[in-house]
Amino acid sequence: MATESFVFKQCINLIKSTGRKAKQLRELYAGIEQASDDSIYHHTYQYFLKGHLLEYTNDFAHWAGESLEERVLSEHLSALDPYEFADIAGLRKKLLEVIDDYLESFPEPREVTPGNEFYFNETITIVFPVGIKARNLAEFLIAVRYIDSGSLYYHFYEARSRLGSGRDDFSKWFEEKWVDDASKKELGEKIKGIDPFMHTIEEIREHVVSAVEEVVRKDMGIIPL
Amino acid sequence: MSQYTGIAPRGDLELLRKFGEKLNGKSFLHVNSTRAGGGVAEILNRMIPILKELGIDARWEVIGGDERFFDITKKFHNALQGKLEKFSEDMWQHHFEVNKINAQGLNLDADAVLIHDPQPVPLVEFRRGGKWFWRCHIDLSDPMVEVWDYLSRYCNKYDAAVFSVAKFAKAMAIDEFIVTPSIDPLSDKNRDLSEDEIREAVERLGIPLDRPMILQVSRFDRFKDPLGVIKAYRFAKKYNDCVLVLAGSAATDDPEGETVLNEVKENAADDPDIHILLLPPFSDKDINALQRVSTVVLQKSLREGFGLTVTETMWKGKPVIGGATGGITTQITHGVTGFLVSSVDGAAFRIRQLLNNPEMTKRMGANAKEYVRANFLMTRQIRDYLSIWYAAENKGRNALEL
Repeated sequence: MATESFVFKQCINLIKSTGRKAKQLRELYAGIEQASDDSIYHHTYQYFLKGHLLEYTNDFAHWAGESLEERVLSEHLSALDPYEFADIAGLRKKLLEVIDDYLESFPEPREVTPGNEFYFNETITIVFPVGIKARNLAEFLIAVRYIDSGSLYYHFYEARSRLGSGRDDFSKWFEEKWVDDASKKELGEKIKGIDPFMHTIEEIREHVVSAVEEVVRKDMGIIPL
Repeated sequence: MSQYTGIAPRGDLELLRKFGEKLNGKSFLHVNSTRAGGGVAEILNRMIPILKELGIDARWEVIGGDERFFDITKKFHNALQGKLEKFSEDMWQHHFEVNKINAQGLNLDADAVLIHDPQPVPLVEFRRGGKWFWRCHIDLSDPMVEVWDYLSRYCNKYDAAVFSVAKFAKAMAIDEFIVTPSIDPLSDKNRDLSEDEIREAVERLGIPLDRPMILQVSRFDRFKDPLGVIKAYRFAKKYNDCVLVLAGSAATDDPEGETVLNEVKENAADDPDIHILLLPPFSDKDINALQRVSTVVLQKSLREGFGLTVTETMWKGKPVIGGATGGITTQITHGVTGFLVSSVDGAAFRIRQLLNNPEMTKRMGANAKEYVRANFLMTRQIRDYLSIWYAAENKGRNALEL
């Protein structure tokens, strides 16, 4: 059954150290091989919650580029799309393949300077409602402008793992609430089409606001000047 | 809590309210070794009233000790941060005995207890129930093994440990959480100041404003490299006229401070443009004013726990030139919210860069402030401590929904 109102939620991540670290590529390989699913999930899917620069798309690529200074490897690792994998096992296998291929060409990896090791972490995720509901598109537009980036992350990024098939919570709501409305279906497709890797969370907010605002204006019959 | 509306992220405030409901009436005890001076006391001074307002019965106890106890714990501090110190069996024994005496006088009964740093760590031997967490604020990435072996005997008896950044965490038998420290945006150290307040403080401290000011605020401690800052300033001054201010307070648990201060004074002796300020504890408004009028701010630490002075400065919309160590690297995104440097030459170069590019300085300062808002305000840290407590009471689950 379609949800009537959109209930905005947010997640925060409590970071836990696993005590494992890597100072060079072979140790990174071993660490990825042995890390828990939670740890792999944190370093890939949860990368964008940290508000990093868009040079990389996961912690492994980030470390390879910034600390190891292996730019080619960081490019290969950044090209991985975790949402393409059905489960963590598949993603882990691919990460190991990429590193393994690189080690074949460069079998004697160098070490990072002390203090710049890769630290394998996990998280405990706490989800909570933020006390904002949207009953219609206009209310949704106002809410999206003001929710925290953590809420945007939960509904746009985390939803993709939760719902699968590249869906986010926003698109899902548009499609389910306005089943017979082509403009809302199109809006859902537009939101789904925003590349999660190529924008900061604030840029994603701007894209969502812009797309929704366009539909709200059409609904209100506002004629563009 | 309402004072934080419009300042702290809305989600953090909402989650705090929810935790307040869940943990209403429960007791939360914090224990450390000094009520004045240093970052821990500063945080607790602000955090305890906020916890109480949320409906949590929060308390703060401070352990006492003789001069020998604090000499020993200062050696712990140095040794845990990589400096070689000599220890003997009777020193471990004295550390434990002082804690045992304190345990007899303190009320350690609480639903959750957070013990700060090594000084009170043996108190876990006297726990009376509740969840116990050990909070380590210092850089533990390369400790003297003997000292860590001694302390970890106690640390592993806690329900969980909390470190400021991942690189400080050790391989322990208990859960280890990473919680970065924070600032209170409403405190005298961080709130907005009027022009009059700033002028009054700066004039009283005798700081000239006719030239750009380079500032470092920290305890007089070798790990903060004050002599390196003086060198960097002297190098930059060859190209840009400026003044240097080194401002710090003494902490009651730091016996080395006076020695380092004298070294700094001796090094700076013949330069009228170097101002060394030993401020009394709680000189928060003065530090606030200095950070606001400064042109360039340094935190050129060689080892650092977290570096709250960096957070404070960033909150004032100023980029920081920070030593690439400890928690400073968590706050400064190089080239975006500040610069990370690894040498005197590096610090001197970035001083010159900021002095000569006011637009870049302004842009980086704005980035810095927003980064602090999202990640390093007191409300986030309280949120994390309460999250750890809540997670400990729901152990085994890595996804919780309120």
